[in-house]
Amino acid sequence: MTARRFRSARRIPAALVALLVLAVAGLFLYDLAAVRADRPAMAWRRELAHRLEVHTPADPGVQLAGVALALAGVVLLLLAFTPGIRSILMMRSPGQDAGQDTGQDSGHEAGQDAVEASRPPLRAGIGRKDAAQVLRDRAMEVPGVRSARVRMGRSRVRVRATSHFRELDEVRADLDAVIAVGIEELGLVHPPRPRLRVRRRAD
Amino acid sequence: MIGTVNRILLAVAGAVLLAAGVVLLTAVRPLGGRAAPLLSAADRRRYLHADGWWWWVLIAALVVCLLLALWWLLSQLKRARLRTVAVDTGDGAFAVLRGRALADAVAAEAGALDGVAGCRVVLHGRRGSPALRVAVELEPHAVPADTLAGLAGPVLTHARTSAGLAHLPAEARFKVTSHRARRVS
Repeated sequence: MTARRFRSARRIPAALVALLVLAVAGLFLYDLAAVRADRPAMAWRRELAHRLEVHTPADPGVQLAGVALALAGVVLLLLAFTPGIRSILMMRSPGQDAGQDTGQDSGHEAGQDAVEASRPPLRAGIGRKDAAQVLRDRAMEVPGVRSARVRMGRSRVRVRATSHFRELDEVRADLDAVIAVGIEELGLVHPPRPRLRVRRRAD
Repeated sequence: MIGTVNRILLAVAGAVLLAAGVVLLTAVRPLGGRAAPLLSAADRRRYLHADGWWWWVLIAALVVCLLLALWWLLSQLKRARLRTVAVDTGDGAFAVLRGRALADAVAAEAGALDGVAGCRVVLHGRRGSPALRVAVELEPHAVPADTLAGLAGPVLTHARTSAGLAHLPAEARFKVTSHRARRVS
């Protein structure tokens, strides 16, 4: 049931790491070749060799460098293994949602599987900002809502509305229903839980 | 494809950096303990004296790193677009379909769906197994789930049958045209 998330191609981190490796390898290669050709080594390499001789792993500077290296490594590993593109919410592929509410626990029947296999597999997602905009439009249609602000999270959606007429409780009840329908119409794999706040316009 | 390569190489780079950091912090095996220098002059002379072969190992490793990094960097610039699709005509021959033509046809059909303001389609993947990437821009009052159903049903089925493909995987990303909030009073 869970649609596989979109995975970022990680082009930018890859390009940065490639550039770094290219620069460092190029610099060392140039210097090594120069030394092999009986030219003096560049000053920074003598400096580096000197430092490596003087410092021990107990030095705070070396420890700091160790921490920095380890952190950079962890960041790269995270980039490698997390899907990324957190700003897109996955939508249910049509053909998977025969029973929309009970989709997770409805048993797979052989006939249904055949139908699913014959359909083109489609993965779809909607931007979080865009989903928020859809919900805000729905909220603005509720009588009594003067302004609405929707913040879409990955697991919950926060709706803040101000009302200028009608009883607040009625507006809240209407808004609750409208937002529930709106979330259903987004067709998300993991529908976010709504959290509403309706207030009287402050003036 | 490029995503997988990127992720593997990023993981390798990350593992190397993490290992280097941990070694520096714990001062274990390659280093000689907490009080020993990181790289003593004696060690340096032992490996990198003028007529040893460690030089050549080091130079070869650096050349390999350099070439790999260059290829990796350049492959980030390539856009994965498919120019042509091989269509099985059923009589033992193949026809060649321009990828752009298929993408435009899908875009036109998707653009005609209810509530779709605009649509861009790119064909990528391999010639034998192409895939579609669809960016759909929705009108403010469209119902995303319904539009998705329309896209998955008639539009993609049509594309699949007309190109004679058994499988045409597709990715769709929905956006909503931006507009100001309207008040209904």
